[in-house]
Amino acid sequence: MNRGLNRFAILVACATFFLIIAGALVTSHDAGLATPDWPLSNGQFFPKMVGNLFWEHGHRMVATTVGMLTIVLLIYILAKEKRSWVRKLGVFALLAVIAQGLLGGLTVKMMLPLAVSSAHATLAQLFFCTTVSLAVFTSKSWIEARRLEEEQGRVPLRHLCTAALVTIFIQLIIGATLRHSATWDQHLPVELVLTHILGAVGVTMTLGSAALTVLRRHKGEKFLTRPATIALSLLLVQLFLGVAAYLTRLKSPGDPQPLNPMVGITVAHVACGALVFVSTIVLTLRTYRVLGGDFVGAALRGRPNRDFVRLGGGHGVPPLQ
Amino acid sequence: MNKQTKVWLVLSIALSLLAISSSCGGTKTEGPAANTNGGGATAEKWTGGTGTISGVVSFNGTPPAPKKIDTAADPVCGQKNPNLMTDDTMVKDGKLANVFIYVKEGTVEGGKKIGDYTWDTPTTAVRLDQNGCHYAPHVLGVMVNQKISITNSDATQHNIHPTPKLNTEWNQTQPNGAPPIEKAFNRSEVLIPVKCNQHPWMKAYIGVLKHPLYAVSSDTGAYEIKGVPPGKYTVIAWREGQTPEEKPMEVTVAANGSAKADFSFGAAATSSIKPSLQMMPAIEFPMLGKH
Repeated sequence: MNRGLNRFAILVACATFFLIIAGALVTSHDAGLATPDWPLSNGQFFPKMVGNLFWEHGHRMVATTVGMLTIVLLIYILAKEKRSWVRKLGVFALLAVIAQGLLGGLTVKMMLPLAVSSAHATLAQLFFCTTVSLAVFTSKSWIEARRLEEEQGRVPLRHLCTAALVTIFIQLIIGATLRHSATWDQHLPVELVLTHILGAVGVTMTLGSAALTVLRRHKGEKFLTRPATIALSLLLVQLFLGVAAYLTRLKSPGDPQPLNPMVGITVAHVACGALVFVSTIVLTLRTYRVLGGDFVGAALRGRPNRDFVRLGGGHGVPPLQ
Repeated sequence: MNKQTKVWLVLSIALSLLAISSSCGGTKTEGPAANTNGGGATAEKWTGGTGTISGVVSFNGTPPAPKKIDTAADPVCGQKNPNLMTDDTMVKDGKLANVFIYVKEGTVEGGKKIGDYTWDTPTTAVRLDQNGCHYAPHVLGVMVNQKISITNSDATQHNIHPTPKLNTEWNQTQPNGAPPIEKAFNRSEVLIPVKCNQHPWMKAYIGVLKHPLYAVSSDTGAYEIKGVPPGKYTVIAWREGQTPEEKPMEVTVAANGSAKADFSFGAAATSSIKPSLQMMPAIEFPMLGKH
């Protein structure tokens, strides 16, 4: 395990989270078209940051920084990381951030069509998920994790977690579509709001059951219970934020401009949604890491002999099964 | 994979698909766009006598108070216009400004539809100015293909973004000192919202028609439509809002005569009935919760 690589991966994940907040601020302020050109802003690299240009160009600057950090991360991974699947994930992260940049440019050039804007928001979450996964895979706790016994005759935990993850991802797509379907001075489409509420019920059921099952079956295993507790706590916060976001958003068409608390709460709802997503993916990855004997789990654990020689050897790390 | 697992997976997928299938896709509902004059088979110019339609637009009840705009994001706006307020409901002594009144359809004396006639497109551009981080005028009318000259009188950058439903959408930045932007719309549309993506409180509305039979009510609520051929018409008074309001009225204009058509909006809205006019019920748009 390379501590420096892991720390850098965590830095990139944190920067990506900041970028998601920056992007959400653009949408909540209706600043997506503050400059009609891309990649420059009004023909400049550094335009005067006033009005909504502050949010839009600020978002582009943070995105550029994240892009640079991703390039450095990939170079670091290729230099220090031996596991081929982690190296491939690093390449995927770079391709994803490039695609995300291009989608951002496309949505500006096409004046924010719903499908492109929603895809841009969705890919942002996927990219965040990728950077967090890289931080997880390069962490000491992942590499040193011990295999646990799966309870027999029950629904495999990793499948419950996967179902929760898929449900959350679908809910993110619905949420992105909802956010981009109307600007702050327009009412949200009722059908999309109801769909998003239905999705929240689905997420609560699937993530709730997955997390509670983890807490019940593997009480003493912090490797699993910690992300489960975090995911559950974030889910509760997210539900409250969702209600608050809806109520403030309901009022915003009567406001003269995008105002707080609507801006703050809707951005917090997006950010918390991203955290729910990544905490669930951490939980899901960890269940595959330590439970079960299927292909994915085996792949994530790596081939025993080769990995033990690489990762164990002399550091008191228990052998992988 | 055992049976229980399959059940869980199927339930999760079914719930997710149900959520997606009830989505509307976020499509925008249609706005108050109208292709006001259908266009007859053989278009000709009216050469006979004309009259006027005039009146006053009132607001009944207590109008909503203007709201203060926070211009902190752009100090230039605050310096030039320190008391910038919303201007969506401008009421003075019970009279409502910025209502767009236009002839929607009708029959000219002799039996032809108003849409069977053509008018020359004015060569003079209509000016839309950005001054004090505020559009002036707030509501304007132009003819199809008539130029709109957009100017920036502020020491800051603006971004003009009309959002039509029937015309081509465009979005252009205009720095301080930049030459006027000249644009035109080639399809009639009532009314096109205009926003500034730099300053989200800035709004204007442009009515585009194939004929010049329109007016915007002034600060005193008064309006006058000149050059109306004699005939019977449906006149619409359009007022902005979260859901724009439209009040129709049947008006008869005599050659070289004038017809009076007063409109009112607000809490106890009515339309005044003049001896030569026929009332029509107001049209409601059930768009609550939708956009």
